[in-house]
Amino acid sequence: MFLARIEGTTVAAVKHPTLDGCRFLVAQRIEADGSVGLEPIVVVDWLGAGNGSMVMVSTDGDIARERLGNTTPARMVVVGIVDQVQTEGSTRQVKA
Amino acid sequence: MRLGIVRGHVILNLAVKAFRGKTLVVLEPVTMENLRARNGLGGGKSLVAIDALGAAKGQMVAFTEGREAANPYWPDAMPVDAYCSLIVDSIGIEP
Repeated sequence: MFLARIEGTTVAAVKHPTLDGCRFLVAQRIEADGSVGLEPIVVVDWLGAGNGSMVMVSTDGDIARERLGNTTPARMVVVGIVDQVQTEGSTRQVKA
Repeated sequence: MRLGIVRGHVILNLAVKAFRGKTLVVLEPVTMENLRARNGLGGGKSLVAIDALGAAKGQMVAFTEGREAANPYWPDAMPVDAYCSLIVDSIGIEP
């Protein structure tokens, strides 16, 4: 799992049939030093994360398979919306 | 999933049985910088993915990597590690 910031939304008419009705968000991975990943990722969201939200993303497809069936290619899923990140020497409150 | 632009197709002469009749595309992953710039460039290291959606050259897709890429072929064994899950119509993102 890793932390990511939601940067936007994705619209796609043509997709794998199991993905119909899913909400796809564009996110950027956040590293421990605060830097962000080079390439954006597209994540499935069922929690209602908004633009700028910090979220926790799981790269395990089990939740997606449970909800969308065994044949779904969905993998990266928002599993939580982050309130606070505590690291050595600092506690970072994430704005809602 | 990552985002990638379809740069071409791969035709295999000899291949494992599972790949018969399947379409393979060459993808160039898109970096955040290029996505924001909307310049049609990728910038990532290219890879080959299996495509069942009929993505055309120049279109942007989101592709799944890893074990989950073979899920659509479940319960058959399929030796793929990248699968085009959706064709992007639009991305709503601050420039």
